[in-house]
Amino acid sequence: MADQEHIEIDTLLDMPAPGRSRTGRAASLARLLHQDCTYLLELYRERESLLSDHTPAGDRIVSLSLSSPDLSSDEQVQLLHSALRKCLGLLECLILREEEEMGELEGEYETVRKGVRDRLGHLLHSTKVLLETEEDVTPDHQCNEEVDGVVGTFGAKMWTYRVLLELIHWANSASQTLHVLHSEREGREEI
Amino acid sequence: MPSLFFCILLLGLGVTESQASGLAPPQQVRLDADKETQTLSVTWEDGHASTFDVEILRTELMEMVLNETVGVTEDQSTGKHQWNWTSPVPLECTSLSVKVRSRDGQDVSEWSSQQILPGLDLPDNTDSQMYPEGKTVPVGSNMTFCCIVEEGQQFGSLWYKDTLVKENMLSRRTYATTMTNQGPSNPSGTNVVCSNEKKMIIAGAVVFVGYPPLPSDLVCETHDLISVDCQWSKGRDTYLFGMTRQTYYTLNGRNCPKARNSNMRCGLEQWDGNWTLVARNLLGEFRLTDAAELGHRVRPVAPVNLTTPEVYSWNASVGWLWKDKGFERLSLICQVQRTSHLNSSTQTYTGYGLNTVVLKDLQPDEKYSVKVRCGSQKNFWKWGEWSLPLSFQTKMDRPVAPDIWLWMDSDNLGRVLWKPLTKSESHGQISGYEVILWSPEENSQQTLTLPRSVYSLPINVTDRGSKVTVTARNPAGVSLPANIVIPRYLPGKNGGKRVVIPRHLPDAEDTAISKVAFNGSGFPLSWVAHANASCGYVVDWYNTSCTQDCNVEWIKVAADNTNTMVQSGNFLAGVRYKFSLYACSSESTVLLERWHGYMQELVPSRTVPRLSPNQEGADVQLTWDQIPLEHQRGFILGYTVYLTNASHLTLLANITDPQLTNHTVRNLVLGSYKFTVKAYTAAGEDGGATVSISLEPYTYWLIMEILVALGTMTCLLIVITIACYRKRKWVKKAFYPEIPEPKLPGDWGITQGTLDVKPSPHSMVHIVEDSVWDSSKEALVTVPEEDEEGTGDEAADTDEPASLRYYNQVVEEGSSSQRRPHASDSSASSTGSMDSGHTDVTYTGIQTSACSLAPMAHFQPQPDASQCVGGGGYRPQMQSASCPEEPQTGPEEHLQPPVGSFGGYQPQCSWKQDSPEADGDGLDQTCLGSPTSVTSSQFLLPYDTSEEGKEYPSSASTWFHNLLTGKP
Repeated sequence: MADQEHIEIDTLLDMPAPGRSRTGRAASLARLLHQDCTYLLELYRERESLLSDHTPAGDRIVSLSLSSPDLSSDEQVQLLHSALRKCLGLLECLILREEEEMGELEGEYETVRKGVRDRLGHLLHSTKVLLETEEDVTPDHQCNEEVDGVVGTFGAKMWTYRVLLELIHWANSASQTLHVLHSEREGREEI
Repeated sequence: MPSLFFCILLLGLGVTESQASGLAPPQQVRLDADKETQTLSVTWEDGHASTFDVEILRTELMEMVLNETVGVTEDQSTGKHQWNWTSPVPLECTSLSVKVRSRDGQDVSEWSSQQILPGLDLPDNTDSQMYPEGKTVPVGSNMTFCCIVEEGQQFGSLWYKDTLVKENMLSRRTYATTMTNQGPSNPSGTNVVCSNEKKMIIAGAVVFVGYPPLPSDLVCETHDLISVDCQWSKGRDTYLFGMTRQTYYTLNGRNCPKARNSNMRCGLEQWDGNWTLVARNLLGEFRLTDAAELGHRVRPVAPVNLTTPEVYSWNASVGWLWKDKGFERLSLICQVQRTSHLNSSTQTYTGYGLNTVVLKDLQPDEKYSVKVRCGSQKNFWKWGEWSLPLSFQTKMDRPVAPDIWLWMDSDNLGRVLWKPLTKSESHGQISGYEVILWSPEENSQQTLTLPRSVYSLPINVTDRGSKVTVTARNPAGVSLPANIVIPRYLPGKNGGKRVVIPRHLPDAEDTAISKVAFNGSGFPLSWVAHANASCGYVVDWYNTSCTQDCNVEWIKVAADNTNTMVQSGNFLAGVRYKFSLYACSSESTVLLERWHGYMQELVPSRTVPRLSPNQEGADVQLTWDQIPLEHQRGFILGYTVYLTNASHLTLLANITDPQLTNHTVRNLVLGSYKFTVKAYTAAGEDGGATVSISLEPYTYWLIMEILVALGTMTCLLIVITIACYRKRKWVKKAFYPEIPEPKLPGDWGITQGTLDVKPSPHSMVHIVEDSVWDSSKEALVTVPEEDEEGTGDEAADTDEPASLRYYNQVVEEGSSSQRRPHASDSSASSTGSMDSGHTDVTYTGIQTSACSLAPMAHFQPQPDASQCVGGGGYRPQMQSASCPEEPQTGPEEHLQPPVGSFGGYQPQCSWKQDSPEADGDGLDQTCLGSPTSVTSSQFLLPYDTSEEGKEYPSSASTWFHNLLTGKP
């Protein structure tokens, strides 16, 4: 099911589309990614028996600010693209660590996790197309325990928890930013 | 004084203990902690005793953890004592204080100096922590977890999985909980979480609870006569996953990296004869061993390169190769599985280095798929793997003879039928059929070639004893002929049985037809063996309701069988099939028995036709026709008759005889009825035919009643007539007395006889309608009908003048106002008499005349009224002078008011309106001067004052109505 959806998205991305449609599709993609990330966190909490009101302590992992008033929409998308690259790197690292810790499992969590990775990659491609520059779409994160501050098994779980929260945050930011960009471009074309 | 004594005593005891011990306290006590195993190692010197007291406390809260006497011997090489203690609580949780003293029986030394093992809850270690972290423990073990709260934060709660657990305070910052009998973890481990008062996770640990490996069934074998392949069962799940905790296997000391998940196998390049498998994880290891000779553990690999060197119609050879040359020198047993569209079978072959076999009993023109597997014939161990399948097709052969049957549609017209050849019978694609009709009498034959899609041939069977031969042809040749002989003798008797050509016989000709039930797979038929069934029996069947070109199926049964199961894929539910059993002989076909039955009975598809009701007095007979056979869809078991009331059905009768198609519903009262008749089969009732009938009074009875009434009336009239005839004198005297002839002084020159007096227009009696005035004796008064009810005055107000009755006041002596109830009586016998002449006058036809009323009303108050004597009485002789003088045109004016006025009864002067000629007739102008007997046949009618000469038409009808209804 998820594979089929990804194939459809690939097809969508490959199709030539006017600017307005590209931003609309990217915004839709971000919205779907946000839903997937939220669901992934839900599955993670369920698997780890973590209550929803128990939140991990710690600072933001990806600290980029999109809320500066001086940033134009394109600059915001640029920042967003960078943040998403870091998120993809974190997710790749997360998958690697979990597979080391638990082996290659084939549950629903693992399926959704793979879907989020693929969709995040698609979103990176979309934002790259929107920026009309040769942006890098590769994951931007070195999977290093010392850097990540992962100490012990539980520390790795808390790091995972924070990464998932980070994914939700940036997927939501992407959805909103791209929606605004889409609205702006739509209004510009109407004028 | 006493206190001083007590102090001295205590001091003395202390001195005694110190002096008694004589033991030196342990020196250089040292603590070493193995935090992974939570083991504390205590070493000391100079303790010459072998028994020591050890005391361990939690430093911060000075809670006793252990106070135990232990036996520790001195290590001769080092001269030190060492004692190990495993703490149930992780050593990181809080600081521990340890001190030791020597003991020799009851003698103890001084305590050693207290040694402290610092915990991680010291103020300089400010972070939140939880211990132990990432441990792997067996299922069922107990563990204590401690949470060290970050400096400055408040402890909130401890959670094990999703369960809030009770904590125990070990120090200012450390809280612990103990979990007992832990269950297996999930792949990511079991979380123990510590949160602060804001429910934020401040620390946590993961514990992996599982089992050590427990594999089983290690078996090693060879597939190539060289290497070894060992397999085993994984056994109990360890619940431990990941690179660190998963189970690793070694076989004879060599790693088995491919042994993962469910693929528990490991191979070695050479046959060792003895194998040891070690399974190991963090919780332990398990060993399995196996030993065998190579020849006892041969499981050959699958043969390769299967071929079919020779393929024929009925057999073929299959060959293969061995990848390993060793099998060419091994005695082998091989299985060859062949699969066709018909079936699948396996045959076994043996041989030294076996690599080819011959497959027999194949079907011509059939596609086969074969695969081979082998094993060691000597010391057979296991079958090897199946080879890849090989497909081939056998060659064609000539078809088998068709199965033919002769079916007569009529006495002379029939059809030769044959069944299509199946795949296993045709032995190749059928190209057509050949039919030869042999006529022995004409010694001729007729050959017909038919295409392969034709399975019947119409024939005109005029030549009895002729033979029909059918052959099938395919590319490989022609089949053997199938023959059938047209019986020479048509209907007749042969051994008490009918000899017929099979045909569709009407049911009337069926002497014995019985029901047969479908048993789920077919119709089971059984019969008594017949002597002439030399070539067996034939059972044919067809749809009973079929009329022409019926689809006939048949099966042939061997002569030694007396039962069969009729099966067909063409059987349909709700269709009646007729089965006929024939005994087959070389000369004839004898019908033995017939059955009919349904594969599945359904409710009739239509209702009973021609349902009609017929009233028979108070009964209703319902009749209907039987449902046509094709609509019965089951054996009609009977009919149910219902009385339908709205949607409710009331069962009236259940007719269990299906031949009975009528029913009489008896003793019904008048009214409308609706009846529903339903036919039913074993599957239920049909929808029901409904008919309505309205029961009416019986017509003959009505006619009879009328006739009886008429007869009764006739008899009554006859009786009255006879009575009147016998009493005619009395009647005449009473109602029609003789009027004596006037005695005239002279001769009137009238001859003796009947005096025919034509009623003069003026001889009519004038009736004055006046309901008030009745004081005069000689008056006719109107009596309203309502007078009988005592409301005579109100009668004047009625709007129905026709209801007024007129009675003549008979003027008699002593009877001033006698009423006659019937007008007819009045008219027939109104009798008046005048004193002057003493003449009885009978007025049988009295008509009113207005001409005399007006003058009377006017003249009454006038002085000269004496010329018309009386107010309104009967004065026939007193009107003659005055009447002519009155204008004839003004009676209406004088008749209206006053209401109380009256008019006299003046028959002699009131005929004007009825006799137009009277205007110029002097006789009409004058009243009769003498009494006259007048007979009138006219009814007394009220006079219409508004229209001349017009009578009230309703008076006669009212009178007649009253007569019929018996009203007075």
